[in-house]
Amino acid sequence: MANPAAAYRFLAQQSPAGGIRLGLRRPLFVAFLLGCAISLFTTRSLTLRLVGPATIYWSFVPLAEIIALAAVGWREPHALSFARRIDLFFTGHGPWLLWLIGLSAIWSFFLPAEAFSLTRVWLYGAAALAVAWSACIDFCFFRFVLGRSRAGAGRDLLLHRAISWSLIIAIFGAPAIWPEIAARFGR
Amino acid sequence: MIAPRWMAGCLLLTALAAGTISDVPRRHAPLVIHGYHVLAADFHVHSFPLSWATLAPWDTVIDARWQGLDVIAITGHNHVWVAKIGRWFSRLMGGPTVLVGEEIVSPRYHLLALGIDRSIRWRQTAARAIDAVHRQGGIAIAAHPLAQFWPAYDAEAMGKLDGAEVLHPIAYSSGNLAAELREFYGRSRLTAIGDSDYHGLGPMGLCRTYVFTPDETEHGILDALRHRRTIVYDRGRTYGDPALIRLAAGSGALAHLAQAAPAPGFLSIYSRIAGVLGLIGAVVLGCDALAGRSRHRAE
Repeated sequence: MANPAAAYRFLAQQSPAGGIRLGLRRPLFVAFLLGCAISLFTTRSLTLRLVGPATIYWSFVPLAEIIALAAVGWREPHALSFARRIDLFFTGHGPWLLWLIGLSAIWSFFLPAEAFSLTRVWLYGAAALAVAWSACIDFCFFRFVLGRSRAGAGRDLLLHRAISWSLIIAIFGAPAIWPEIAARFGR
Repeated sequence: MIAPRWMAGCLLLTALAAGTISDVPRRHAPLVIHGYHVLAADFHVHSFPLSWATLAPWDTVIDARWQGLDVIAITGHNHVWVAKIGRWFSRLMGGPTVLVGEEIVSPRYHLLALGIDRSIRWRQTAARAIDAVHRQGGIAIAAHPLAQFWPAYDAEAMGKLDGAEVLHPIAYSSGNLAAELREFYGRSRLTAIGDSDYHGLGPMGLCRTYVFTPDETEHGILDALRHRRTIVYDRGRTYGDPALIRLAAGSGALAHLAQAAPAPGFLSIYSRIAGVLGLIGAVVLGCDALAGRSRHRAE
């Protein structure tokens, strides 16, 4: 996470064995972590009652990212298998996962009244850091794993974000988006 | 690297076990005061998907029972179909009463429509939206009516509005916002409502409404809201029908019921600490492990 360029340069040279399992392990971990976070938000503990089902239906997040990754990389054949590309791409999810754990910790260790105030700071402050950090990591993924030029890596990063975030936001909260945008920009 | 990863895994597993064992529903005996059934309700609950919420309708219903709620309204943003799934599931499992609702999210106001069947257009004035709610036999509640939304509630809208959220989690984050909710509620004879505006952060029913109804049917609950038979407790303040407030104070049972959830036990505290530490460990070691293992192989 700290030096993504060097890490991805190195990892792109490796070719570990494994097919579907390799491609699924990190996306499933992301879904599991989302399920854990949702349980911590709601009950301030990890309970199977919430972790299990939430892991299943929140797997739409890694799924949207995999779809976006496939859309970005469909143009040319690549030396690395798609499963390996998925695995390496999800290796760079550290900033978002740490941000999510931070939000979970706020709701686990503070009373709701305090947590609401802290959440506002975390959502706007720490999320901005996670956006920038993860963009840097993913840029390195496109540059050194997929072998794009600087401009190409930037373009792929934007395209991936546009596809995956649109899908995620549409599923998460589409119907209120237009009224909220209208409210912010002059009604 | 293997030992720390095992440690993170063990922390997560034990956190799951401890959290699952300590996760018990907050039950309460049925409460009847002066012939009224007193129901704990949260009329502003969002469900996944399409409403910026984390829990699917079936998990929402189960969690409502866990939080000791007798009634919830699932209020999707400008849609009702997720609420219908929630109501169907609750009837199937014998869960709490689920009212089909909608939070009409408009640029100028947010309005809860409870007990409706079809979605209501958001591109209309608050007064017209309230008319549309009433045509379906529903109840219109001003959702978190902060000062920014007041211009939408003109005299016509205020004359038609059934109730307003006088207590909402935003009241906990700022005294000024709490005062704005109280000021709006004081503008007219409105049903007092306390809602958690549940999106998945914090417990459902954090703010709740106690409804006094002759029976526990949907019709009875909506009728109670129409006739302002509610009480809301807010840290030393009480809102609602003065006669019911006196009755409830005389009984004492409702004040006891309205007390905060019991303090968490050891298992629950262990689960949150071990869970957060285990997740941090899994993320940090998971990211580094791949690089470390690959580097080791290359050497």
